[in-house]
Amino acid sequence: MTAIADPVARSSGPAHRTGVAGLGAAAVGAAGVLVLVVRPALPLVLLAGSVVLLAVADLTWRLHRQQTAARVLEAQRLDLFSQRQTTADELEVATRMLRARAETMTSVIDAVTEQSIIGTDRDGLVRVWNPGAERMLGLPRADVVRTRSIIDFHAPEELDTEELDAEEPDAGGGTPFATLVRVAREQGSDVRDWTYLTADGRRLTVSVAITPRTDDDGEQTGWNFVGTDMTEVRATERLKDQFVSLISHELRTPLSSILGYLELVLDDPEQPLTGEQRQYLGTVERNAQRLLRLVGDLLFTAQVDAGRFTLQPAQVDLAGIVRSAEETARVTATARGVAMSVDVPDGGLVVSGDALRLGQACDNLVSNAVKFTPAGGRVALRLQTAWRNADGALVDVPTAGATPVALLSVSDTGVGIPNSEQGRLFTSFFRASTARRNAVPGVGLGLTITKAITTAHGGTLDVVSAEGRGTTFALALPLPA
Amino acid sequence: MDAPARVLVADDEEDIRHLVALAVGKAGCTVVAAVADGAQALTVARAERPDLLVLDVSMPEATGLEVCLALRADPATDDCRVLLLSAGASPDDVARGLATGADAYLPKPFTVAGLVRQIQLLTAEHPG
Repeated sequence: MTAIADPVARSSGPAHRTGVAGLGAAAVGAAGVLVLVVRPALPLVLLAGSVVLLAVADLTWRLHRQQTAARVLEAQRLDLFSQRQTTADELEVATRMLRARAETMTSVIDAVTEQSIIGTDRDGLVRVWNPGAERMLGLPRADVVRTRSIIDFHAPEELDTEELDAEEPDAGGGTPFATLVRVAREQGSDVRDWTYLTADGRRLTVSVAITPRTDDDGEQTGWNFVGTDMTEVRATERLKDQFVSLISHELRTPLSSILGYLELVLDDPEQPLTGEQRQYLGTVERNAQRLLRLVGDLLFTAQVDAGRFTLQPAQVDLAGIVRSAEETARVTATARGVAMSVDVPDGGLVVSGDALRLGQACDNLVSNAVKFTPAGGRVALRLQTAWRNADGALVDVPTAGATPVALLSVSDTGVGIPNSEQGRLFTSFFRASTARRNAVPGVGLGLTITKAITTAHGGTLDVVSAEGRGTTFALALPLPA
Repeated sequence: MDAPARVLVADDEEDIRHLVALAVGKAGCTVVAAVADGAQALTVARAERPDLLVLDVSMPEATGLEVCLALRADPATDDCRVLLLSAGASPDDVARGLATGADAYLPKPFTVAGLVRQIQLLTAEHPG
């Protein structure tokens, strides 16, 4: 704007001066006419001269004006030209930047060779097909982009349109593609396994993240599908599952024989054993039981990992469970010289849960405490009603918004767990350095299982420990309000 | 005094079969046969009409579950008592077993004392 206005402003100066000069010439002409009236004898030359003078003055003035206008126009033309040049330059810079950005994006997408990145329009027509997709599905970009729908690469039985709500016309009206993006449309994104069909007829289990793609105005332009081939991973998981259940079955059967026949020998009133025989066979039985527990723990861990573990809920008195855990551990504790104490409410404390699993969780905590406490130490079991504050902290006195919990704490004066290892305590097969150093037997499944059971009951399991001083596990389960 | 209850034992593991047969004896019952697969169990059950069958779940030819369903589907054998034994100890396994019409389900490893008690319970009201 300023660039256009300036030349005009500058030109107004000279134009004004030209006007004054024109007026001067006209005054000279008028004087000549006066002379003619006073002195009628003067020749006509004077008159003619005056006319010429007047005409010249007029012409001069017009010429000036035109020249000025021409200069203004030239200035404006130059200005416009330079503006056009600037715009063109700016446009070129912007284009270059856009191209660079697009190239960066493309090169990033092209660098992804292990994941498929597929972009489609709103109806599923493929627009982006990276080398990962080429590799995974066996078709080059040129054969797919703008000609194929992503649906062509999905197992059709997984895109059953029946379950789709027909009342959602904007959802694509029950097409397989609408089924594919339904969850992503409802929740903004979706990650799950789908079966991809490759060009050579293979079926791949692919974990696909689906997200909508939008333009600068927030308008949806299409969908992105980022896929990771999980075929081998899932097959391995299945194999592990089968292996664990096979092993568990195959180990249980011989253990049934071992324990069954041992029982017959140990309990035969007609052929009593000597004290020594009884002791030896008792050792055999204890170890067979240990093996059996290990098999059970392995199977249970596999079920937890696979998300296939169910609870049989009932009303359970935790006081009974705590007392029986103490009874189970008492023999070992006494033998090790560890004192035990139990503090439970007289009236019991009833929660809703699976009695068998809660018993298992409690047994794990108590047997751990005994196992990790040296002779002369103490293990204290305490069951009480407590409160969980709105911020999740467990407190004895409730504040606003607090909910009641049954709190079981198992404290020992044992070897403790180093701070740095406490975060990994609930990981399968993890064993604290203090456990390894003190040669405490175990495989590192007990706490994983206890945590899984607690979580499945809507509870929490926390640990406070100081190395060399002891450990307290706090298991809190929700109580009916 | 009643004649002892007659019990058919079926398990593909010889050691377990023998152990179960011992428990049957301890429970005061008679073993009519101890067989190693489901097909034999069904044949003997139809011929001998035992009071109780102690069936392993995973057996060749026919599983204990299949044997139980076949017994329940046949009016000639539908009043036999059935005790299932299985290495599958999960609640789902138990529910699946009892859904076939079995009277009881004992996960392995069982204690001999527990098995004896179950056999006594299931044969307490036997018609013979």
